[in-house]
Amino acid sequence: MTETVEYRITDFDCPTCASNLERALKRAEGVEDAEVHYTTGRVELEYDDGVADPESFERTISNQGYTARPR
Amino acid sequence: MIAVSLERYLRKHRQPAVVAASGSLFAVGWAVGYFHDLPRASAALMILAAAVGGYDVAKKAYYTLRSRTVGINTLVTLAAIGAIVIGEYWEAAAVVFLFALGNYLEARTMGKTRSALEELLEMTPDTAVVRRDGETVEVPAREVEEGETVVVKPGTKVPVDGEVVDGESAIDQAPVTGESAPVHKATGDEVYAGTINQEGALEVVATGTGRDTTLERIIRRVEEAQEAQAPTETIIERFAAYYTPAIVVLAAGAYAVTGDAVMALTLLVIGCPGALVIGPPVSIVSAIGSAARSGVLMKGGEHLETAGKIDLVAFDKTGTLTKGEPTVTHVDGFGLDEASVLRYAAIAEKKSEHHLADAILEAAREGLPDDAIATDGGTAVEHPASADAPRTIPDPDEFDVVPGKGVVARHDGRRIVVGNRALLDDRGIEVPDPVGDRVRDLEEAGETAVHVALDGEVVGVVSLGDELRPAAAEVVAALQDAGVRTVMLTGDNDRTARSVAESLEIDDYRAELLPEEKQAAIRSFREDGHVVAMVGDGINDAPSLATADVGIAMGAAGTDTAIETADMALMADDLERIPYAVTLSKATRWNIGENVAIAVGTVVLLLSGVFAGYVHMASGMLVHIGSVLLVILNGMRLLRR
Repeated sequence: MTETVEYRITDFDCPTCASNLERALKRAEGVEDAEVHYTTGRVELEYDDGVADPESFERTISNQGYTARPR
Repeated sequence: MIAVSLERYLRKHRQPAVVAASGSLFAVGWAVGYFHDLPRASAALMILAAAVGGYDVAKKAYYTLRSRTVGINTLVTLAAIGAIVIGEYWEAAAVVFLFALGNYLEARTMGKTRSALEELLEMTPDTAVVRRDGETVEVPAREVEEGETVVVKPGTKVPVDGEVVDGESAIDQAPVTGESAPVHKATGDEVYAGTINQEGALEVVATGTGRDTTLERIIRRVEEAQEAQAPTETIIERFAAYYTPAIVVLAAGAYAVTGDAVMALTLLVIGCPGALVIGPPVSIVSAIGSAARSGVLMKGGEHLETAGKIDLVAFDKTGTLTKGEPTVTHVDGFGLDEASVLRYAAIAEKKSEHHLADAILEAAREGLPDDAIATDGGTAVEHPASADAPRTIPDPDEFDVVPGKGVVARHDGRRIVVGNRALLDDRGIEVPDPVGDRVRDLEEAGETAVHVALDGEVVGVVSLGDELRPAAAEVVAALQDAGVRTVMLTGDNDRTARSVAESLEIDDYRAELLPEEKQAAIRSFREDGHVVAMVGDGINDAPSLATADVGIAMGAAGTDTAIETADMALMADDLERIPYAVTLSKATRWNIGENVAIAVGTVVLLLSGVFAGYVHMASGMLVHIGSVLLVILNGMRLLRR
């Protein structure tokens, strides 16, 4: 089943950083699509809940140096 | 205990803590070197300052490299490591500290523009008081079901979208529509989640709850708008993708040619096109956020950039420049008493869906104010008794609409023709001079006059007026002051249109237009080279709004399609927002230009400074973060508009 989860990130340094994070999230296991917006700080992930665990996304995000707040 | 809470504090405020630690180490390191002449201790402190400030930067750089891209973190990390390798310890510490400080300030200021929206979200209350099984219970607002009755006490916020079924109150709708004055609400009126009930208790049947409310739709629309890239942004991002790697190559080349390591590292420091990529989005996000708080929804940066070029605004007359509530203002009898004229007109119009028909029926049922009845030109009164006629209007026996002209009907064996001069000419009905004169007078006063003919003889004239909105003339003047041409489009006849246009001092008008001809008028303005905005109600005018460069829908709060489709939507039925929206768009376009100029100017200045030998690593970084903060602050000026 495809699920959607949204986060808010408020500590981006530049628009390029947001696209780098987007690329990293897209490669994460079980993620079908990822959108990361610098301007609003909104992260939208579509994932297969049989494969991926939402908690791993927060880890991926914090590994890249950002803090994610679920919304 | 203390360690745990300190750890939690540091995790939450990691960024400022890192900046403060790195800054303090840098300051102590500098003092130790300057006052005590201890170069080794100073160098050690500087390296520590760079390590503390640079840990997160290096970590991000590592992850960026793993995704095979070169970002600003990569450049700063390379520069700092390079500086330490060649023994420029204080430069390394200063670059890293300034970069961390710049990032912190940038995140804080950007956070302010982002939170402009969150303020709106916080407007919705968490709980609602609902009548369930004869009892009132408090439940989470999201769990209210459609069709349930919600009690809204005075002084509290409305938790759901709904229709008032009991009570009366004044409601502050500013969060949704941007209107500053409270709006009176009674049974049958719509209320929106997030608005504030000021006076009386209301009972509301929920029509939209949770994520399905007007406010939530607005916020989603605004976020989508802020996320959509404007043409300028797309161009810049494409440029930035090549610029940063190019700077790395340039730095390597400069080192190979000159052997000057400091110059090469300085090039790396200034290599991220920071202000250039941040400037335009900040301008657009600020403008869209600011507009949303004033009840103006913008579809996105692209439309905002187009709107900044608007040089002609076309208004639909009825319902936009006027209140859209036509009323019968005069009835003249010519050989027939006024009440009968009105009654025959009403019978003929009863089955018509024309917007004037309702006004005629209403007047026939309710009667007219005395000052609306005039008898000039009347010769003989045929049916004096019909003034006592019952106020129910019978159906016509036969009925036919002649589009753009009027109606033809049959009732009790009499043929009734109600319409304009063209219709009477078509039917071979002669218009006597007194009638023609009276009609001309009424039209020159801005009214719409319809002839009423009975069995081929003109027996009267019913005149309708649609009051101008009080702000209409001011709005036209404000747009003219902003250098924008104003045009009125209307289906009215030329004389009525000219009179209204003159009283508004509008630049131009197009009269006697059928709906599809309004669209053609917009197209012709565009062919003349104008950037055209069309203001209308978003439903009837949808084709013209779509044809214009920028379609502006008014009173969109109740109509979801207008919120979804219009390039710009005014939540309130408030004409005064038009000059605001147009000048905000123009200011945004300027602001983007200023930000691009600041960014390009900074890069040119820095590059020439580096090659002339004036700019070194720390000063380069200082100017760089200065320019980033400058464009953010410049963009944020739009938030206050």
